[in-house]
Amino acid sequence: MQFLLSQIDLLIRGEFTHAERLRQARIEIPSRALSVGVILLGALYGFCMALFGTLRGEGYGLTHTLLVMVKVPALFLLTLAVTCPSLYVFSAIARSRLGFRQTLRLLLAATAVSLTVLASFGPVTAFFTFSTKSHAFMQILNFVVFAASGCVGLVFLHQALSRVFETDAEPVEAAEDVPRPVPTLHRRGSARRIFFLWTLIYGTVGAQMGWILRPFIGAPHVDAETFRATESNIFEGILEALRYL
Amino acid sequence: MNETRADVEGILRASGPFAPERATVRWRRLIAVACLGSSTYGLAMGSLGGKLAGALYSAVKMPALLLGTTAVCVPSFYVFNALLGLRADFAPALRGILAAQGTAAVALCAWTPVTLFFYASGIDYPVALLWNVSALGLAAGAGQITLGRHYRPLLERDRRHRHALTTWFVLYLFVSVKVAWVLRPFVGDPRLETNFVRPDAWQENPYANLFWTAAGLVWGAWRTLMGG
Repeated sequence: MQFLLSQIDLLIRGEFTHAERLRQARIEIPSRALSVGVILLGALYGFCMALFGTLRGEGYGLTHTLLVMVKVPALFLLTLAVTCPSLYVFSAIARSRLGFRQTLRLLLAATAVSLTVLASFGPVTAFFTFSTKSHAFMQILNFVVFAASGCVGLVFLHQALSRVFETDAEPVEAAEDVPRPVPTLHRRGSARRIFFLWTLIYGTVGAQMGWILRPFIGAPHVDAETFRATESNIFEGILEALRYL
Repeated sequence: MNETRADVEGILRASGPFAPERATVRWRRLIAVACLGSSTYGLAMGSLGGKLAGALYSAVKMPALLLGTTAVCVPSFYVFNALLGLRADFAPALRGILAAQGTAAVALCAWTPVTLFFYASGIDYPVALLWNVSALGLAAGAGQITLGRHYRPLLERDRRHRHALTTWFVLYLFVSVKVAWVLRPFVGDPRLETNFVRPDAWQENPYANLFWTAAGLVWGAWRTLMGG
């Protein structure tokens, strides 16, 4: 446990993503430790999130709490699995030096950063759970907390990608031609464009993934169930919650 | 498997055996990657509503759309290149075009998990259509980047390649609209019967249909704005 915490601490301090290492496309992060960290941190926030249903609703008990403790890390890891090929293709087209495995490691690191931030909001969510009876308020609070955590992870990823793209041009073989070096500024622009496009996909998939894995909080007036029937989408759901705020 | 991975890397980065102006052109590998990538996406694209037949039909139709359009346009492209005095550069130009198809196909293949996830999450037909159009648009954009890389040395050598490239765009757009119209449905409305192609596929005029649809949208927006 001590080792795990120290690795996460090193990650959020940027020790694994030094500019020099990233410029050489060396993504040296302890993947196993971070995978375990992602699951534990997600489960920790899941516990805080499930408290509302357990306290305010009927029928939400230990099963609901355990389910949410599984669902929160699953939300992030499944989103990572679905969107990783897209990021790899975008960065390969922009000629970054990242291979598929390195892209996966970088995404895992960004996910670990997101979940660290999310878990740190756990006490805040727990505090509001005890101090409000409004399910709509808890929905919005959790939406904001998840969005903030996701944004921090994305900022981490953007910085890492920018450093990868700060490297000199990849030595692209062009027959007997001497490779033309691509200016660093141009490559940073590529990183920005790739990141913007990929973020749209990541954000939409993540939001919809959260929607289909419901319930997380547990609405007091609705029966407890493992998954809700698939209906509408996340964006319609948020508008509905705002109406009842 | 390792060879395919290396091919994919090479096509996406326009490097190694797929670098612009390489002496030899790996035509078979380019076509194989384009077929494999687009077919994989087609399999996912046509599976809305869990229709196996739709998925298999689209898996066949996507490579047909991508490479069939190219096959129809290549003779005219050759003639234009010859007329412009660019016959000597035809092989690298065609390699660029096929590499762009390969890039688009690999990009589509990378969107496959996203498409399957959206379908599994229960999105309805219009949203599925919107996503697939966006995915195809993004893949086409990715293909343009590769085409640009292959055409850069050609344009530096001879500015007339710009005319050849414009001709290709216009021709490809014109033909691909008709090919896509004939081969539809690709996504397939789950409420309708699954067909390989629509019964009236060859009779309809897609350009007139698209024109009147666009005109209807503009007229509707105008009437809404004017309060009518």
